[in-house]
Amino acid sequence: MGPSTFVIVPAYNERAIILSTLQSLIAAGYSVVVVDDGSTDGTDAVIRGLPIYSLRHSINLGQGGALQTGMTFALQQGAEIIVHFDADGQHKIEDIEMLVQPLRCGEADVVFGSRFLRSQDIVAVPVKKRVLLRLAVLVNWLTTGVLLTDAHNGLRALSAKAAQKIHLRENGFAHATEILSEVSRLHLRYIERPTMISYTEYSNAKGQPVWNAFNIVVDLFLRGMFK
Amino acid sequence: MSPIQSILILLMIVVAGLYFYRLRSRFLDNAIVLLLAGGGVILVLVPNWTTLLAHVLGVGRGTDLIMYLGGIGMVFVCLLLYSKLRVLQAQLTELVRYQAIREAEYTGKESEQVR
Repeated sequence: MGPSTFVIVPAYNERAIILSTLQSLIAAGYSVVVVDDGSTDGTDAVIRGLPIYSLRHSINLGQGGALQTGMTFALQQGAEIIVHFDADGQHKIEDIEMLVQPLRCGEADVVFGSRFLRSQDIVAVPVKKRVLLRLAVLVNWLTTGVLLTDAHNGLRALSAKAAQKIHLRENGFAHATEILSEVSRLHLRYIERPTMISYTEYSNAKGQPVWNAFNIVVDLFLRGMFK
Repeated sequence: MSPIQSILILLMIVVAGLYFYRLRSRFLDNAIVLLLAGGGVILVLVPNWTTLLAHVLGVGRGTDLIMYLGGIGMVFVCLLLYSKLRVLQAQLTELVRYQAIREAEYTGKESEQVR
């Protein structure tokens, strides 16, 4: 906890749910940075008046683009620890501390959340998603050399040192893999910590459809070709 | 000269002219366009040369050879345009990010521009 821990919340058309997510983050004492990624549903009006840093992209860039904007801003504000946190309420606030702890102790530079470390978290993941995520883990491992137990988990924490070195160029969802290749390229120390993902009707509807995995693989391929 | 020959030559001159008028860029680009247009005109005037070249390369008809080369050319142009598009996208991203950070606000009670 503490104001030097900045939680970045990228938000694209999250009017229905973002308020409760932000309120619990504020209550926990974090510095909250919301990057409104060109929402058209009035997300910006809902968050007005909250004690947070509010940034707005004039056009929709994608989640990776929003996270990078948030990180650049947080570093300018003197952030010591940066946490990525999805706006749709699928992460638990209490999990943040578990991710931040290894950074404070200097055990790691980047901490990834994983829903495959505790049996009670695994059971919560729908079977179709479980299979797909295992495949994504494999793709990530083959393309970046970093083997984790989970992929595309929106909850992760970075030290300021790591955040300064990493620059996300993938504006879309392929940023989750790009972070891994940056970790590997920059020889950053990383570990995983268990996180619970709640699959609500809202997060399922808002989340990436299963076939988006194909788009991500194509993005990664193009990224390799046109670096 | 058959009608199709004059049509093709005219089209090639128009394309080359348009290129120099609108999209003129580096020397190498210009040289390639001139070479392609010139080569195209020659092949239209002497169609047998394409057939000859096709035989040498193991392709039956000259038309087929042109089609294959045309296909490869098209893919090449697509990739070239795509890579330029990516550069543009990266520039646009930087611009949007710069603006977002410049206009960042702390929206608490004492709402204020951050910088």
